[in-house]
Amino acid sequence: MNLELTQQIRDQARGLLKSGTVKGVIGYERASDGLTARPFFAYELTGTDQLIFDETCSHNLVKYLLDKKGEKMAVVVKPCDSLAINLLLNEEQIKREMVFIIGVSCTGVVETAWNQKSQTLQARCQTCRLPKPVVYDFLAEQEPIRRLEGELYPDILEMEAKPIASRREFWHEQFGRCIRCYACRQICPGCYCPECFAEQLSPLWVGIRIALGENELWQTNRTLHLAGRCTGCNECERACPMDIPLSLLNRKLEKEMEELFSFRAGLTSEEQPPFATFRKEEKLGFEE
Amino acid sequence: MEEVRIGVYICHCGSNIAGTVDVAQVSQYAGTLDSVVIARDYKFMCSEPGQEMIGRDIKELGLNRVIVASCSPHMHEPTFRRVCEEAGLNRYSFQMANIREHCSWVTEDHEKATEKAQALVQAAVRRVFYHEPLEIREVPVNSNTLIVGGGIAGIQAALEIADSYHKVYLVEREPSIGGHMIQLDKTFPTLDCSACILTPKMSQVGSHPYIELLSYSEVEEVSGYVGSFKAKIRKKARYVDEEKCTGCGLCQEKCPWKVTSEFDMGLGQRKVIYTPFPQAVPNVPVIDRQNCAYFQKGKCRACEKFCEAGAIDFEQEDKLVEVEVGNIIVATGFQTFDPSIATQYGYGKFDNVITGLQFERLCNATGPTGGNIQLKDGSIPRSVALVHCIGSRDENYHDYCSRVCCMYALKHSHLIKEKTNSMVYQIFTDIRCFGKDYEDFYQRLVKEGVNFVRGKVQQVTSANGKEADQGRLIITAEDPDNSKVTQVPADMVVLCAAIESQQDANEVAHILSISRKADGFFLERHPKLDPVATMTEGIYVVGCCQGPKDIPDTVSQASAAAARVLALISKGKVEIEAATSIIDEEKCSGCRICEFLCPYGAISFIEDKEVCRVNEALCKGCGTCAAACPSGAITSKHFTTEQIMAEIEGVLV
Repeated sequence: MNLELTQQIRDQARGLLKSGTVKGVIGYERASDGLTARPFFAYELTGTDQLIFDETCSHNLVKYLLDKKGEKMAVVVKPCDSLAINLLLNEEQIKREMVFIIGVSCTGVVETAWNQKSQTLQARCQTCRLPKPVVYDFLAEQEPIRRLEGELYPDILEMEAKPIASRREFWHEQFGRCIRCYACRQICPGCYCPECFAEQLSPLWVGIRIALGENELWQTNRTLHLAGRCTGCNECERACPMDIPLSLLNRKLEKEMEELFSFRAGLTSEEQPPFATFRKEEKLGFEE
Repeated sequence: MEEVRIGVYICHCGSNIAGTVDVAQVSQYAGTLDSVVIARDYKFMCSEPGQEMIGRDIKELGLNRVIVASCSPHMHEPTFRRVCEEAGLNRYSFQMANIREHCSWVTEDHEKATEKAQALVQAAVRRVFYHEPLEIREVPVNSNTLIVGGGIAGIQAALEIADSYHKVYLVEREPSIGGHMIQLDKTFPTLDCSACILTPKMSQVGSHPYIELLSYSEVEEVSGYVGSFKAKIRKKARYVDEEKCTGCGLCQEKCPWKVTSEFDMGLGQRKVIYTPFPQAVPNVPVIDRQNCAYFQKGKCRACEKFCEAGAIDFEQEDKLVEVEVGNIIVATGFQTFDPSIATQYGYGKFDNVITGLQFERLCNATGPTGGNIQLKDGSIPRSVALVHCIGSRDENYHDYCSRVCCMYALKHSHLIKEKTNSMVYQIFTDIRCFGKDYEDFYQRLVKEGVNFVRGKVQQVTSANGKEADQGRLIITAEDPDNSKVTQVPADMVVLCAAIESQQDANEVAHILSISRKADGFFLERHPKLDPVATMTEGIYVVGCCQGPKDIPDTVSQASAAAARVLALISKGKVEIEAATSIIDEEKCSGCRICEFLCPYGAISFIEDKEVCRVNEALCKGCGTCAAACPSGAITSKHFTTEQIMAEIEGVLV
């Protein structure tokens, strides 16, 4: 446990609950394996002692704000999670005045499983460029602040270099395993439609059958709906019980958005994602 | 649900379709499709007997869906919708399959064309099955009209409408109305004095009870739709109170500062507080802030001291005026091609190479020389050459013909002959005198002894080969037919510079949501049958902003636009799009993407429900929202997912 950060978070949470600024605090507590972390909702002052922060705190807690629209909540966010706050603010899903953001200057989280903790940082943390959250009301800080340089998309470049047939083969193998449990959608802060296209019956966009064609349609649509919106928290991949490398899809689009529009989702809450804007002066490439 | 009974009508379009597509086979095939009760083919479906055939079938066979497979819906969809309506069906029971532009015209392969025509018919049959009647709605038309641009086009349209007792807001960005026409000296072919025929109209505009003139103003924003537009207009600060100013002109007399006159095309000078010309309407000067000694250096205020009316107001600021109108006429005019870009003509290098418009000012009695045709040094030219097609009909600049140059070059020739003993050369590639009495004018000039030299000018050089020499010029021209090179000596060269679209035409197009052609001019709805309207209903284009034209054509077009506006006003109401979008509030997540994307501002966010809603009066049914909605909560009526899917299946099966 990172005592320095944990203490700052606990103090802040206590203050917020005591003053009645927020109804509750969404943070992390130690899981019952005594090793990893799990989400925790502190509504009482006594609960604040359970709050922790360390390198196992992987969950993106921003997703929970979507269920707490009526009450003001505080939420603990890592720099990567904070991008999702801006996304939801931009898309009018949460109101700024209804959230108190406890930012954490994170130094990366590790791969975890039940009762297991790896020593190496998650792949996304190895290329993370955000030393602190992009939006916060309070910042739990620690030294030294880490900022990485280097290639952002080594795996994507490797994938792009492969011939199309082998890429298709790769993805067919991956999608063939998908059981369409929709865990990737349920955990994604960007997936909040009241009725997902995957469940619409009239018209039926995606067949109910669990088969390669339907699975592929689901995964490609899910990815495309997140184009310019995915903030890269990679919760989908972590939640996937079939270990489908979803980050390869999400980050391929993230790279495209950066190259085409110099846009990265969540950096501000003001700028509209490229696919949600229309500028008459924009060249679309098919004009005379 | 009532039984769907479809009638399919395959048009031969003379030989346009039947020449390539086996129409009998398509018709026979259509007859075998589900729900099709009758399938026929006919020579011209759009003809009276063709229309009657459909109407009769609807009644006798109880059809409730109609498909015509013929041309693009652009022309005849309204025709056939009307046929359906007259026979008692909703107009949205109709579907058109385009087997001409999309089929017979693009291939010579009879077999494949027939096959494609069948697929297109099948797509229409499957689609029309899901068509639903839509309610036709009407909204009232605001009887006010906005006219943008106060040249002859805008003036003519304004007077025609205002004379029918309907309010006109006439917006002109310059200090006075008049446009290019007021700069001209004489007009071809009748040689009327341009100002003499225009100023009465201008002063009518100035005093007309139904015209509100907003000079020195620009339209900044337009919203709304036909029948009820809202426009934001910026009234630029004149620094002269329009109410108080009596137009005595003393301020202009006393102002000690002079700058180059735009009105005189750089040949003369004007004061810093000025009206561009003596007959300006309104006769209220403006202070040119960029050059005013008080604004730039903090000293002077001479105009203020001498103004008896106390009309000078250095504190004046731009004002935003908002007006509500039912129709908008765009008459923003043109600019002339800058010949200095084409260095071979020596414009900007030799003093006595001038443009046609500069010549107008030179020749005009109110111009910088008092109407004397003279060289820069004040001497009278012994020979003048008029060079046609500068920047027009030139693949390097503009492909099109500017239409007025031949005629004004002839007119200039006449004036030179009249006022001087100079030799006159017309250096042309083709002389185009297409208008009424224009050919007579040309014959007259031939008799007056003008020399016509056929050739494309290669370069204008000084006679002694020295760059700096401002004396005699030599024009080298090559005959396009036989490559024969001719050299013409001249003291003065008048370049007939092209008419081109205004520099800011693109911004104007954006503000008004109208389109431009590749040549820069505004795009009319139809080049032959509707050269006045635009694709945006309620917005019309007149004069040179739509394409180069002379004064008679401009006036005709302006009157035509006025008639269109008056027709709509007298009808009093306008049908609005029935195929609008609707939002399923159950599915809407309130992300507001549609709201920001909607080009018509038709979508608003309902705070308490946290969902978006479409204002059907504003919605034009473009479908942008439906395509963008991440939740699939938006449906475009008449373009429902069911209809589109069925159509796609129809093409593919």
